[in-house]
Amino acid sequence: MTTLVARPDRVRLAGQRQRAMMTAHQRLMILMLLFIVAIIVIGGRTLAFAFIDDAHGSGRGGSAMIPARADIVDRNGVPLARTIDAYSLRVVPSRLMNDPRRLAADLAAIFPDTSADTFYAKITGKNPTLLRRRALPEEVAAVNALGEVGFEYPRVKERLYPQHTLAAHVLGFTGADHRGVIGVEKAFDERLSDPALRGEPLVLSIDSRVQATLESELYTAMVNLEAQGAAGIVLDVSSGEVLGMASLPVFNPNKIVSGSNAARKNAVTYNLYELGSTFKPLTIGKAMDIGVVTSMSRRYDATKPLKVGRFAIHDSHNMGRWLNVPETLIHSSNVVTAQIADEMGQAPLEQLFRSLGFDNRPQIELKERAFPLWPRSWGRLTTMTTSYGHGIAVTPLHLASAYGALVNGGTFYPATLLKTERGRQPAGKRVFSEATSARMRQLLRMIVVDGTGTKADAPGFRVGGKTGSAEKPSAGGYAHHSLVSTFVAAFPMDNPRYVVLAMIDEPKGNAYSSGQRTAGWTAAPVVRNVVMRIGPMLGIIPDQNRDVDLSDLEPLLWKPKGEN
Amino acid sequence: MSVIPAPVAGLPWRIMALTSALACFAGVVLYSAAGGSMTPWAGMHLIRFVIFLVMALVISRFDEDFIKSLSFPGYAGVALLLLFVEVVGQVKGGSQRWISLGAFNLQPSELMKIAIVLALARFYAMLPAGETTRFAAVWPALVLIGIPSALVLLQPDLGTTLAIVASGVIVMFIAGLPLRYFLGAAGAGAAAAPILFSMLHDYQQKRILIFLTPEADPLGSGYHIVQSKIAIGSGGLFGKGFLNGTQSHLQYLPEGHTDFVFATMAEEWGLFGGLMLLLGFFLLLRWATGVALRAQTKFGRYTAAGLTMTIFFYVAINLMMVMGLAPVVGIPLPFMSYGGSSMMTIMICIGIILSIDRKARRGHSGMSGLS
Repeated sequence: MTTLVARPDRVRLAGQRQRAMMTAHQRLMILMLLFIVAIIVIGGRTLAFAFIDDAHGSGRGGSAMIPARADIVDRNGVPLARTIDAYSLRVVPSRLMNDPRRLAADLAAIFPDTSADTFYAKITGKNPTLLRRRALPEEVAAVNALGEVGFEYPRVKERLYPQHTLAAHVLGFTGADHRGVIGVEKAFDERLSDPALRGEPLVLSIDSRVQATLESELYTAMVNLEAQGAAGIVLDVSSGEVLGMASLPVFNPNKIVSGSNAARKNAVTYNLYELGSTFKPLTIGKAMDIGVVTSMSRRYDATKPLKVGRFAIHDSHNMGRWLNVPETLIHSSNVVTAQIADEMGQAPLEQLFRSLGFDNRPQIELKERAFPLWPRSWGRLTTMTTSYGHGIAVTPLHLASAYGALVNGGTFYPATLLKTERGRQPAGKRVFSEATSARMRQLLRMIVVDGTGTKADAPGFRVGGKTGSAEKPSAGGYAHHSLVSTFVAAFPMDNPRYVVLAMIDEPKGNAYSSGQRTAGWTAAPVVRNVVMRIGPMLGIIPDQNRDVDLSDLEPLLWKPKGEN
Repeated sequence: MSVIPAPVAGLPWRIMALTSALACFAGVVLYSAAGGSMTPWAGMHLIRFVIFLVMALVISRFDEDFIKSLSFPGYAGVALLLLFVEVVGQVKGGSQRWISLGAFNLQPSELMKIAIVLALARFYAMLPAGETTRFAAVWPALVLIGIPSALVLLQPDLGTTLAIVASGVIVMFIAGLPLRYFLGAAGAGAAAAPILFSMLHDYQQKRILIFLTPEADPLGSGYHIVQSKIAIGSGGLFGKGFLNGTQSHLQYLPEGHTDFVFATMAEEWGLFGGLMLLLGFFLLLRWATGVALRAQTKFGRYTAAGLTMTIFFYVAINLMMVMGLAPVVGIPLPFMSYGGSSMMTIMICIGIILSIDRKARRGHSGMSGLS
């Protein structure tokens, strides 16, 4: 075209320009190739991340999601114990680049609980030292922002109990070696640290809402009654699952260094008590089972203390008349219960207590279980005193499990801290007959309607239960002024689902309990409050129009003339 | 011919859609990184994007010759600004990289990434074809690159220095300098690396050492990379879902909204999200390279190539850093990372490339009309 008439040097120039343009195009294509290669490399790396745990093969990328120790959660999945990577703060003095005075002042501003002088001493020391054993992520970020290369932030495994003191005795804690020391942490140590299983949390039977309610009501009572301690259980009667287990005073498993040793004792499984009158329904139930008590209307002499050799059995309130079976339980008569036990004889009672496990440690997964004070020899007197809960000391858990069997139709289930799927509970052991259990539900309900347990009557929840106010055994006899007040109940009594036990250790008779120390005034109100709060959570609807049919027993109760 | 008025139809809709999609995705990721909140990042990010997009469209209307005429004065101005921050920094003590303009902080080193490309493109466009093999074609370029690099390295900002050098070298490469120069320089660089390494700041040395063996110190300074890898790896195929990332929400991942935003994104959107983002960047780079290929003028071609490299450098170094393929140098991810300076740079690049594209298209249509 135009080049036809161009001079030779212009042709050369055009040729060069053509060549330069070609070079540029070639090189642009090389650049494009570079882009493609880079995108492929990055894309491939992303693929590797998605499909392989860690491209470097150190295993950290994937295993970071598997905790070093399994989490513990409650039956609804609420976390009770977790293992986290906590930070600590370390200084390597030889690497410090900034003025130590200024750094110390900056550190003190971030951690106001430590003085600048303390920090100054540590960062000017010779050897690397820990400045903080634990530091929050925000604090680490603030220290990191100081821009000092002499600080390091090693990660340390930390067992964290996010619910603070909740269920502390159930959970226990771990030691410096990350092994369980007490509680579930100890009992399930193998399971929790097993690499094959620790990805899955350990699901407990505990319901943290029930647990919190139980703890708060017991704590209120303990403080108001100026008591030494308190304990409580909520137990599923058809599976033995423990929904709540509280022992007061509590400790904080996150801060085991500062807590007192005594507070770590689980009163529910590790303390022995003579639980007193709460044993009476068990004795009478057995007597009904084997045909010693055949009629509810049969009367026994309660006009005077019962003399057995040199020993005399008293009632705390002498009724001064003959009592039938419902009246015996309503007024909690030692004299009549001892007579029934005497008539029944030693063998059936001992067999009952053995079948309820009173001769052995309580049946639960925990390791902290006390061995009961089991009578050394079963004489006639032993039979009579143990029938109303004296001369035998068991744990509160023993009693709760026994009551489960008493009201659920007569089947004993060992207590468990693991969540049990419906229909997969262990086969129970028959201890009482169905008929006895049905009768006992009426009697226990009557105690709450007409007897010593009226303060436990949560309206509409059909609570039934038994009081027990036992004097504490002390050196050489009984301390008459220190009581252990227990109320053990079940609800709803027309179809029992849960046993609730509350125990107050040495309550004082003060204005809060109208000057009374007995269980009816101290422990029974705790059960009422707990039932009223947990009932709706557990799906039990209060119904004032429903109740256990007591019509066949009501007429048996003696009433002053003119009242009926 | 069409119901759409010509000025509207003439807008670069494809690039506007692509960049908007990237910025909106960033908005979603930043919304999640803030724990499900438009503040403090997502809202501001989107507002900035809209402002800079308008700015890019304004730049795209500039004539290529106008941009060309600005290239040398612009370079001189930005170099003076760099010198200014260096002097002010020396006076105030410590490292300072920006000039406060009230509304936002201007980092001259960011503007230099563009200025160096324009200046070198202008220089090689002036050079007659055939002169490129001479030494006279090399030394002015080295001086042009050397002055700002030295000033930025003094700040000290290793990442930006590398970006300036890389963009400059790409312009020289496209301008047709003999390949042996580049190969020779690469060899010399490799030989000089240990010496350069010893000249770096302590923390910069540490970062490079950690890059080489991040797992050796996972609890200390390799932390950034390890946490970032965990975040990306834990996303799996489709991620943990929107607002469900743990690494960033629990603040295990440092800088989850700026330099490590890709890890934050990958944790929640998984491999799928990561590959979609890579596809987006690839489309952008392909378009920009295409503009360089179409450009009718040398200045246009070199500028487009250099600016493409600037964008690519951001993307590649950031992603490689996040995946542990490059040292942690503090380079943001275009469109995704929260921050004004880098977004401004990227959008100026896009604006200039658009302007070159317009000229190239006009030239094409003019020629095809002739023949």
